[in-house]
Amino acid sequence: MTDRITPAMISSSTLRSIESSMASLDKTSEQLSSGKSILQPSENPFGTGRAIDLQSALAGLSSYSSNIQEAVSWESTASSALGSIGQVVQQVREIALEGANGAQNESDLENLAVEVEQLTEAVKSDANAQYAGAYIFSGTMTETPPYEVSGSDAYKGNEGSIGRTIGPGLTIQIGASAKALLGEGAGSGDGKLLETLRNVVTNLREGTPAAREALVGGDLEAIEANSQTLIAMQAHVGATIDQLRTAEGRIEQLSVNTSAALSNTENANIAQVSIQYASEQAGYEAALKAGASIVQMSLLQFLN
Amino acid sequence: MGIPTLQGLQTTLSGLMANQASLDVVGQNIANANTPGYARQTAVLETAPPLSVQALSPVTGAGAQLGRGVGVQTIVNIRDSYLNAQYRNENSASSSASTLAESLEQVQSALEEPSSSGLSSQLSTFWGAWNDLASAPTSAAAREAVVSAGSQVAGTIKQLSGQIAGASTEATERYESLMGESGEVHSDAEQIAQLNGQIKVSEQAGQQPNELLDRREALIDQLSGFAEVNVSEGEYAVVSLSFGGGGTPLVEGTTVNWPPTLSTSSGGQLGALLQLSGPTGKLAGLQEALDGFAESLAGTVNALQPSTPFFSYTAGEAAASIAVSATPAQLQTGGAGEPGANEYALAIAALRGGQAEQQYSAFVTGVGSSVQAAQAARANSEAMLNAVSAQRQSVSGVSLDEEMTNLMTFQRGYEASARALTAMDQMLEQLIEHTGTAGL
Repeated sequence: MTDRITPAMISSSTLRSIESSMASLDKTSEQLSSGKSILQPSENPFGTGRAIDLQSALAGLSSYSSNIQEAVSWESTASSALGSIGQVVQQVREIALEGANGAQNESDLENLAVEVEQLTEAVKSDANAQYAGAYIFSGTMTETPPYEVSGSDAYKGNEGSIGRTIGPGLTIQIGASAKALLGEGAGSGDGKLLETLRNVVTNLREGTPAAREALVGGDLEAIEANSQTLIAMQAHVGATIDQLRTAEGRIEQLSVNTSAALSNTENANIAQVSIQYASEQAGYEAALKAGASIVQMSLLQFLN
Repeated sequence: MGIPTLQGLQTTLSGLMANQASLDVVGQNIANANTPGYARQTAVLETAPPLSVQALSPVTGAGAQLGRGVGVQTIVNIRDSYLNAQYRNENSASSSASTLAESLEQVQSALEEPSSSGLSSQLSTFWGAWNDLASAPTSAAAREAVVSAGSQVAGTIKQLSGQIAGASTEATERYESLMGESGEVHSDAEQIAQLNGQIKVSEQAGQQPNELLDRREALIDQLSGFAEVNVSEGEYAVVSLSFGGGGTPLVEGTTVNWPPTLSTSSGGQLGALLQLSGPTGKLAGLQEALDGFAESLAGTVNALQPSTPFFSYTAGEAAASIAVSATPAQLQTGGAGEPGANEYALAIAALRGGQAEQQYSAFVTGVGSSVQAAQAARANSEAMLNAVSAQRQSVSGVSLDEEMTNLMTFQRGYEASARALTAMDQMLEQLIEHTGTAGL
């Protein structure tokens, strides 16, 4: 037996088709206008979780990237400070040789001593280099200048180091202590640059044959040793900058990959959604047309 | 013995009356074509008991039985009790699924995920603020930024927790209002019991009370949306109705056993509300997951702030009570007395993507999955409900085309009966007026 079909059945099924066409049209148009394929977690719970993770990872990558930029600037500041200390060391070496050759009278030696004293202050002020308001050679005492210019040679900072996270689980140390290079000045016995400079000044002022001997002997050796330390520090800074550049490239690559993965997860395929939209629109129109014409059909129209 | 003279008039009269009654039923059907719960009616016609005419045949003397027309036996409404039961099952399932889906959707939309305004992006900002503080431990602005990002995270967690608690309270309130003494369930049950009484009286008098039956069916349909119903029909069409799987029937004859015992497996809207609310409900489960996340977030951050805890919270209700307790100046980026030290800030910034965040993303995935499951169940049960509803319509619904055809059939029948009556009348006229007047 054929099913009986009643007008109520036709109108309710037409209404249902119209409603469901409209609902899918609404969703598709929201996808089109927002450009997102996941509008609610329930549409793709796993994809939503993944999108959240990827978004967080992407934000993490961008903070690594800004940390790297910042660390590069910091290390560049350190590098130029060390460079200018290097020039001073070179000048002092020449002065020491000049003072030792015996042709200098007392006032010449005094002039040389004064020049070395000025260079010593220049070294201290180089060591007081700042990046973004922080003293970079004070360890973690970034608000304290490591050395007092025109004052005592005591180191004011500490041995702490400052980290920068430059990748997932990758932290480098950028803060440094100037004490390893400059030491604590005359009488400290640490053989570092400040003590060497102070010794050079003393020996120049003494001007005795023994003092001249010391200038080309012990002092020159000490200068040599200090410049080795300096070169090692410069090499370390250079290596750190290299490492940062490499990390930067890697983070950029990771960002590209992560963005692509995120886009695959949460972005709508516009071409596909547009075509879907067009076909859903056709479906909606058909449902409306059915509602407008078929539902009105009845035997009543054909009876007199 | 012959045929009574006026018998023909009576026979055609019965035809007129039967067709008229059928037309009346057609009229009733058309009038109620769009009445919810109305089942189409049919006048059941039967032939009237015949008249035995003895010795009719002048040859054999055999008698015959002469039909005496037609009568209306009864007016029945057409329904299929199996389809009704199926409809009610699907109605319970569908309203249970849509109640669950609606409530969970409410929680889902409170999450605002995935978007740039949801908790996940606020957490991301929070970790970013710690990273900035690690780069500039002495910056007052960076400290402010950390506290403000932290407060925003805490505020959003609290708000989410409040929304889940609100959904749970709403579920409880809806349950209580439906199940109250003056709620819909009680009033439906009372009406069904009353209708049972009226139906019994009619049935005892041998009449089928179609309209009362329709009303009772509609009420039972309505009850099936609240919880599963099971109907058993007894003598005189009196029904006994069990509700929500309870042992004692809710309606037994004219008695209502109030209140019914319901459980999470009662189905329908009430069963779903019980599944949602309560200390072991779905919403409490979500609250617990959110608490777990809040506790782990606060715990991991606080562990890296030895002097002043960054977040304060009450154990057991972490999500509802989380707040930032540290001031910008109290934030500890590294060892005390070392303004440039940043190991704590670095370690907190490195919590990005860690346990707490994974818990949150699992929470969102969990909410999404349960909404997805509820929506799928709703779509399924609605499709089933529509199918059964269409079948029921097919059996009980009024088809106007069919009624029009019936209208014509019975109208013609009535006209023909009237014509037959006219013929009878003319015959009698011939007999009365013109017979025995030969030669006058």
